[in-house]
Amino acid sequence: MRIKKKHQAGAAKNFITRTQAVKKLQLSLADFRRICIFKGIYPRAPRSAKKANKGSTAPTTFYYTKDIQYLLHEPVIQKFREHKIFARKLSRALGRGDVSDAKRLDENRPRYRLDKVVKERYPTLLDAIRDLDDALSMLFLFAAMPASDKVTARVTEDAEKLCSQWMAYVARERLLRKVFVSIKGVYYEAEIKGQEVVWLVPFKFPQNVPTDVDFRIMSTFLEFYTTLIQFVLYRLYTDAGIVYPPKIDSARAHGVGGISAYVIESKREKESLIDTSNAEKAAITESEMVSRAQTISTVLNKANNPAAEDKAEPVAVDGDDVDEEVTETLDKFTALPSTDKVISDIIPQPEDISPEDAIKSLLSPFTFYIGREVPLDIVELAIIAQGGAVISESVLDGYLHVDTDAVPEAEEVDFDARQREVDALLKKVTHQVCDRPALASKVPGRIYVQPQWIFDSLNRGRLMPVDEYAIGATLPPHLSPWGDGAGYDPEEVEKADEVEESEEEEEEEEEVEDEEDEVEETAEVEVEEEDEGEEDDALQHQRELEAEARGIMYSSTTSKKRKRGNEKPKKSVEQKQAEEEKELRKIMMTNKQKKLYNQMQYGIQKKETRKEALKTKRRKLEKNKQHKKRVL
Amino acid sequence: MAKRKLARAKKSAEKSQASEQSNGCRKSDRLTQTIGAFPQHIDDANHEDDDEDGYIDEEAEEVQEGDSDDQSDLEAYDDEESAGDEFDGLLDGAISDSEDEDEASDEMSEYDEGSDAGDAVPNFGEDDESQEQEDLAEVIRNSLSDDDDEDEYLSKYSATSEAESQSSLSSDLDDSRIAYYTTGADGKARPIYHDIDPHYSSDDSDIEDTNTIGNVPLSAYDEYPHIGYDINGKRIMRPAAGTALDSLLDSIEVPEGWTGLIDKESGADLNLTKEELELVKKIQLGENAGDVNPYENTIEWFSSKTEVMPLSAAPEPKRRFVPSKHEAKRIMKIVKAIRDGRIVPNKPKIRPEDELPIYDLWADDLQEQQPHVMHIPAPKMAKPTNDESYNPPEEYLPSEEEVRTWNRTDPADREKNYLPQKFSSLRTVPRYEDFVRERFERSLDLYLAPRVRKNKLSIDPDSLLPKLPSPQDLRPFPIKCSVTYRGHKGRVRAVSVDPSGLWLATGGDDATVRIWEVLTGREIWKASVGDDNEAVQSVEWSPARDSGILAASAGEKIFLCLPPIFDDETEVKGQELLAAGWGYAAQHGPAEQVNKEQPCKWTKPSTNLTSQGVDVVIMCRQTVKQIAWHRRGDYFTSVSPEGANMAVLVHQVSKHNTQSPFRKSKGIVQRAQFHPFKPILYVATQRYVRIYDLSTQSLTKALQPGARWLSSFDIHPRGDNVITGSYDKRVTWHDLDLSTKPYRTLRYHSRAVRDVRFHSRLSLFCSASDDGYINVFHGTVYDDLLRNPLLVPLKVLKGHTVVQSLGVLKVEWHPKEAWLFSAGADGTAKLWTS
Repeated sequence: MRIKKKHQAGAAKNFITRTQAVKKLQLSLADFRRICIFKGIYPRAPRSAKKANKGSTAPTTFYYTKDIQYLLHEPVIQKFREHKIFARKLSRALGRGDVSDAKRLDENRPRYRLDKVVKERYPTLLDAIRDLDDALSMLFLFAAMPASDKVTARVTEDAEKLCSQWMAYVARERLLRKVFVSIKGVYYEAEIKGQEVVWLVPFKFPQNVPTDVDFRIMSTFLEFYTTLIQFVLYRLYTDAGIVYPPKIDSARAHGVGGISAYVIESKREKESLIDTSNAEKAAITESEMVSRAQTISTVLNKANNPAAEDKAEPVAVDGDDVDEEVTETLDKFTALPSTDKVISDIIPQPEDISPEDAIKSLLSPFTFYIGREVPLDIVELAIIAQGGAVISESVLDGYLHVDTDAVPEAEEVDFDARQREVDALLKKVTHQVCDRPALASKVPGRIYVQPQWIFDSLNRGRLMPVDEYAIGATLPPHLSPWGDGAGYDPEEVEKADEVEESEEEEEEEEEVEDEEDEVEETAEVEVEEEDEGEEDDALQHQRELEAEARGIMYSSTTSKKRKRGNEKPKKSVEQKQAEEEKELRKIMMTNKQKKLYNQMQYGIQKKETRKEALKTKRRKLEKNKQHKKRVL
Repeated sequence: MAKRKLARAKKSAEKSQASEQSNGCRKSDRLTQTIGAFPQHIDDANHEDDDEDGYIDEEAEEVQEGDSDDQSDLEAYDDEESAGDEFDGLLDGAISDSEDEDEASDEMSEYDEGSDAGDAVPNFGEDDESQEQEDLAEVIRNSLSDDDDEDEYLSKYSATSEAESQSSLSSDLDDSRIAYYTTGADGKARPIYHDIDPHYSSDDSDIEDTNTIGNVPLSAYDEYPHIGYDINGKRIMRPAAGTALDSLLDSIEVPEGWTGLIDKESGADLNLTKEELELVKKIQLGENAGDVNPYENTIEWFSSKTEVMPLSAAPEPKRRFVPSKHEAKRIMKIVKAIRDGRIVPNKPKIRPEDELPIYDLWADDLQEQQPHVMHIPAPKMAKPTNDESYNPPEEYLPSEEEVRTWNRTDPADREKNYLPQKFSSLRTVPRYEDFVRERFERSLDLYLAPRVRKNKLSIDPDSLLPKLPSPQDLRPFPIKCSVTYRGHKGRVRAVSVDPSGLWLATGGDDATVRIWEVLTGREIWKASVGDDNEAVQSVEWSPARDSGILAASAGEKIFLCLPPIFDDETEVKGQELLAAGWGYAAQHGPAEQVNKEQPCKWTKPSTNLTSQGVDVVIMCRQTVKQIAWHRRGDYFTSVSPEGANMAVLVHQVSKHNTQSPFRKSKGIVQRAQFHPFKPILYVATQRYVRIYDLSTQSLTKALQPGARWLSSFDIHPRGDNVITGSYDKRVTWHDLDLSTKPYRTLRYHSRAVRDVRFHSRLSLFCSASDDGYINVFHGTVYDDLLRNPLLVPLKVLKGHTVVQSLGVLKVEWHPKEAWLFSAGADGTAKLWTS
């Protein structure tokens, strides 16, 4: 038998160090990093680093050898090499001052595309959707970045465009499930083709850009994510029967921007638009103001919204569309398979509305008027994704007070007409979203809420009571729809407290009733009782006698009391016994099991202590509050 | 000259005033400003005026040159001024634009500055001399006008310089160097000079009349009439110094080439010739100082004429008239590329993103496949929790202490990278400072962090607990302490129950053996056996029911007692048994054995002891730690750990005989015990439990409990299972049929295990430890050989207090009931009942 050589098989073959990988691919480290990001290749931690590193224990990064092997024939790497040559040629041309040559070279610079890479990494659409979280968060960040030498304006512009397209899709298809406003930004969760996609959007402020952040890495990621999202969006739009890329209504883009500027049209609509383009055009120009004011609600939402429908009229809704709406609004009827045996004399029953559907049309009967102090981007998406219509104060202002300098004088703006239009529009408003400590004048018939009402309603799947969210009111806590990581539920504590309180109250009431009875029946005895308050036994006996007189069984009264008195210690004895038994059983565990068990117990204990600490803190806070109330 | 200049200055001043009135332009303002700024240099101001429109000045001067007399010159000057006026007018027009005004004035002032700086530089042109003389006059004037008024000067010099200017101008005209005049590029007359004739006399190198004093300063000759010597050694006389009048005259009538300087070498006035002045001027301007003709005649080095005879007779190469193959090749390449569409001429510029079409990447609709085994997907970001909310419940908000600790910890060590905050409304929420950094760190994690698949156990921790029958189903077993036997002073080291189960014997550090009634806890009998207060290490009742013998060891002695608690019959029988052996060894023992040194000595006790009920005292060599009876009650073993090969002794009561079964030392012996029913002796040393067959006198087995130091062991009543306890907190169960290694090793005591015991009838065993606890177990041994023994922990008995880190020292089961006796270091013995 041949002697087996060391480090010729197993981990030593399966893993390759980074230096080796770079050498093998003949790339620079920067290019290697880029290709790793594009291809999603990541270092591994082998089970035994020593074995993988052929006996050396020096700290090293390992890659899976086959990952690197596959890279050898990667077309993108070939492009990297071409780019290297190109850069050399260009620098030479520039050095020689050969401008035309340099220009020609630059025009024909080697370009690569990552579509094949996307397809390789995500063979199916679901795979891609599953991995959208990071991509979306990154894009939304870049959309909010100030343009600088590191991040060009075009990059931010492109990112913003894609983000808006994404939001427009989510809003139109009503896929938004959760919104959580955190101190970091706003988290959204959408359910797309059955997959949960969570992304984080920063607040609309210029971002703080730390100096030690390497934007080359970030932009490499962005490059890949942009490609990924473009293709995903194309597919999603196509599946939803919408044209991609959606058109941008420049007028509206000028007003607010964001999703409201997107004219999303179904493919069929588009065809019809071509046929009757002239008529439509006229209608659109007429309705420019309306659409601007209503933002996307009219264009995006075609279902379940009679209020929006009315307003949508000038935006030229086809007859077919109206039909669609009707069918969508009605309950769905499941058609039974009409076989010979079964005569369909059973009346088809409307399906129950699932909670998801409830979310989809939670705000559908309402029109929201959004104050200019409210961040429109957050609120708009949340409202439209729940079927509501949006009218923004800032847009209306822009419409009513057009800066006359910008408009050529030839076009006389009929402000009165506009005012009339706006007034008509404002009549439909049911809710006003307001984020001010107080409001000078309120319009009767409107419900005034703070923005959190919309988020909480969406997260709970039902409309929250409005009074808690009134203007100037102290808001109830905004809880994460994903709950507390360690199993503490503030609401549960609240409920438990309420139950306790109510129980106590009930008990008190009972006692009061009892006493009343007693007073009625034997007032004299009562007096005596008071006198002999110290002698418990005598009192007890007396009560028993009274009870007997009233016809109450002796056992029932005593057992009740005993139960009350003994319940706690009895339980604790049992618990003690159980605990003791557990301790004893632990003796028979093996060492390994014992260690594992103790580790688990440590984690559980930690969670429990945190939970307890939070509970006690809450009780303390509540006590303080009550105390304060009493003092006041 | 100076006079002329002054006149000019005056005139220009007037003119400028006039122009000021006429157009009121900025320029005149500026002029007055500059005049104001340099009141002592009115001339300078005039110069400025001239310099501002420099070309006008030049122009004027050229005109001046062309003129023949002074009058015309003056007229020309007037012309010049008028030209200047014109210019002024133009300038005004230019400046009148309000926006340009500042710029223009800026430029002007810049130019002014330049001209100010270059004021010392004489104006170039052909009329050098006059200019130069003007300058010189200026110098002189400056030197004279220390404290005189300028107005005076003005009046003074205007008179004198008038006449002088004429002569100087005429001298200008008879300049012989000028050959003729031509028309220049500007249409003006341009003087053409004679060619320089390099004849012999031009060289004056041999004329040497210079002073030859060398480095000697001229001041050395101040007292002499001469100032040095010429080359021939003759004195050079000091030139006559003129009177003050002379010098005044000199200053007025400046001779030609006068500089006002004194030649150091000759002591005379330093006069410079015109050529020399020109040279100085040229050097100052940085021009070519030598005699270089800038307008040389062209020499046709490469003539345009074709020679009749070519230089080379070689025939013209073919490549000159055949089209280039290489070029054709290159062109064809391009043509081909165009045809192939690789080169698109006049391709419109498109953004790279736009030209790439977006299509349905997943059109093939593949079925979802299992990802590769080695693929480890990146973990998703953790979902935000309640405490990240902008408006969290108040209990999440950190206390001041928590905030402080958070700030103190290193950012890398923080559990969460943010502190919960509460904002009253959405509009007050600021930006999150670390947003970019967090995303960046996430990116780094995605491509840089080594990934490893970790299986997370999602099991109920209770499922790890072994499934055992409930202790409730395995009753009876001792649960509580029912009797405590108090009386011993100091630790109770030994405890034993008599075979009837009525009497409990204990021994302790107070050197007494006491007997108690089990049920009442009453002390019935007491004997202080130990000499010198040696602790009673061991107390054991003989298993023979009818004898009532109690063996106790203290120090090196073993006492066999007959406590007076039984009926007479039993007592008599016991006395007979003990008395029978007296002198047996001497009578029956083989001679050699008698001769041989006996391991022990059986003696009669002292009267004191006899009165206490002790009948026999066996004297050993070392401290006896443990006694164990054979089941019949005739033999017993004693263990004295330091006894080397005599550590284990077997004593026979009936014959008063002692044997040492081992010839060699087996190490420090801890315990020794007889098999419950077979002639087998178990001996526990520090590490091993050795099993000796007494009938064959051989070692059958050596158990390895794996402990460092065994403290005790016990044999199951059926003989094939052994439990050991060790000082390193372990209790092991050995199944003798299985292996020499333990079947189970249990670690549950927190301190050393002191004693382990099997119940003789029930399947119970227990262990006592220095932590003060006694653990009671159920241990079923099945008849079926394939089934392993079942061990069930039943109860932890807590009652003994730990004194000086010693807890329970000895335990003993009741012979019939599930009762347990324990002796503790706290000076009590306890009975634990079910």
